[in-house]
Amino acid sequence: MGFLSIIKSRVKRHKSNIINFVIFLILILGSIIIMLPFLWMFSTSWRLPITSFDLPPQWIPTEPRISNYREVFETIPFFLNVSNSLKVGGLITLGQLLTCSMAAFAFAKLRFPGRNFLFILLLASLMVPLQVIIIPIFILMRMLGLLNTHSSLIFPAVVSAFGIFLLRQFFLTIPDELVDAAKIDGASYFTIYWRVILPLAKPALSVLALFTFNFYWNEFFRPLILLKSYDKMTIPLALVQLSGFYSTGSVSIIMAGVSLAIVPVLIIFLFTQKYLIEGIALTGLKG
Amino acid sequence: MKKHMSEQRKKEIMAAYLFLLPTLIGYAIFIAGPTIAAFTLSLCKWDVLTPPNFTGLSNFRRLLHDARFLIVLKNTLIFTAGAVGLEIIIGLIIALMINRGAPGILRYFFRTTYFFPVIVSLASVSIVWQFLLNTDFGPINYYLGKLGFDRIPWLSSSRWALLSVIGLFAWKNLGFYMILFLAALQSVPRQLYEAAEIDGASSWQKFWGITLSLITPTLFFAIVIGLIGAFQLFDAPYIMTEGGPGDATRTLVMYIYLNGFRFLKMGYAVSSSMVLLAIILICTIFQFGVGRKWVFYQ
Repeated sequence: MGFLSIIKSRVKRHKSNIINFVIFLILILGSIIIMLPFLWMFSTSWRLPITSFDLPPQWIPTEPRISNYREVFETIPFFLNVSNSLKVGGLITLGQLLTCSMAAFAFAKLRFPGRNFLFILLLASLMVPLQVIIIPIFILMRMLGLLNTHSSLIFPAVVSAFGIFLLRQFFLTIPDELVDAAKIDGASYFTIYWRVILPLAKPALSVLALFTFNFYWNEFFRPLILLKSYDKMTIPLALVQLSGFYSTGSVSIIMAGVSLAIVPVLIIFLFTQKYLIEGIALTGLKG
Repeated sequence: MKKHMSEQRKKEIMAAYLFLLPTLIGYAIFIAGPTIAAFTLSLCKWDVLTPPNFTGLSNFRRLLHDARFLIVLKNTLIFTAGAVGLEIIIGLIIALMINRGAPGILRYFFRTTYFFPVIVSLASVSIVWQFLLNTDFGPINYYLGKLGFDRIPWLSSSRWALLSVIGLFAWKNLGFYMILFLAALQSVPRQLYEAAEIDGASSWQKFWGITLSLITPTLFFAIVIGLIGAFQLFDAPYIMTEGGPGDATRTLVMYIYLNGFRFLKMGYAVSSSMVLLAIILICTIFQFGVGRKWVFYQ
């Protein structure tokens, strides 16, 4: 190699090192912008309520106090709100896992007249936004006397075209020979579904469970319309109430409430993010 | 033998419909029924208290002359264009940067950090940002002041409010698109780049010729998902500005909510939701129709 080309490749490598370093700096700056609001929320939640609006913000509170958190529990029935969210999110997730896996099994592994038609009909429902059907659902729930109950949130959400689609895609990758072998052994369709397909589908089922639970844990629009009383509210609604009570009084108490809602999500997220991220990547590449 | 076979077929068909039963019942009651009801209601005048009145297309005619509806539609379009553009472009840039530069543990750190806001509720972050963006006692204006800038009325002026909501939405969602693009970038075969290097392609040529053209399916999917999500915006402006100042941040869905659940104009609210349905239908047809032709599939 000639002298000149050595210098050239050195310069090139040097240049790419500088670019990598600049990229690194931008990425660090970006992650600071992403995380600072959460940091501000958490540190403000420990400030003295009377001075909580004072500037500059205290990133490390000088006199941290837990009383703001106590105040949250005294203002809204926070434990009840958490258990409401757990109940609504949990039951919807369980329901979806069951109905979606059953339907996906039929669509992926059984032959029956009307299969394509029904599948397209289901997929078409993905295009109907919630806001179009929310008024008829509100009226239906009113007629059934179910307004301000958790059932009004749970039942309409148990069917999910997205869930069926996601699971069907996964079930299609399970070889038909497994199903046929079980059939020859005299297994019923239910046994095949329960003993053969479901155990193999655990990764897909956990992705669907995480998506669904997260979505309904965070949901705001339907609870706002269907729930009225404080003791029925899910966490996002309760936080907005709390924010309404204290918006001119103390930001630190509001931030204590929001922190109580976000910190558990952060902890669960650190353990499950691998599945969430893989799930999104999978749906993206399939889409 | 033949009879036995057909018996088995019958059993399979029976089983299939039994497995589909919960879904079909739920679908009929909570999706198909309400959709048909919505179409019917959009042709009626109804205040919930008295029986509905069939008024034909008059709701839709009124929408066309409803100045407020047109403002709301304009807000929604501006918001959607801004938010989807930002979250996808920034998400793609961050994915490209992580994919190029970051080694193992850093890659994990960045991915986790940028993705975190995606899983937090929009309601929670709207509450936090409402205070961060406060004109008088918000930390953002405080630090801008330190840098010598004037206070910006982020949420209290009609000039800034919609932009602030766009910013919040992009901040929250860009991590989702980053994950989509990272997965797509990793599926691009390395040999293509090596072949291009042998042919003497510049980095820019490699980006346009290989990277971008191979991730177009994902890019397209991301745009459609983004459009559908952004058109349904409600939580953030409802919490941060209540649609204000004036109607500056009122979105289509907020208008549906306002008409339906505040003014009890159910028929009118449903007919404006039909406009949302039409928009989403167009986006989807766009994906299935035009998209297939534009997009390069492997």
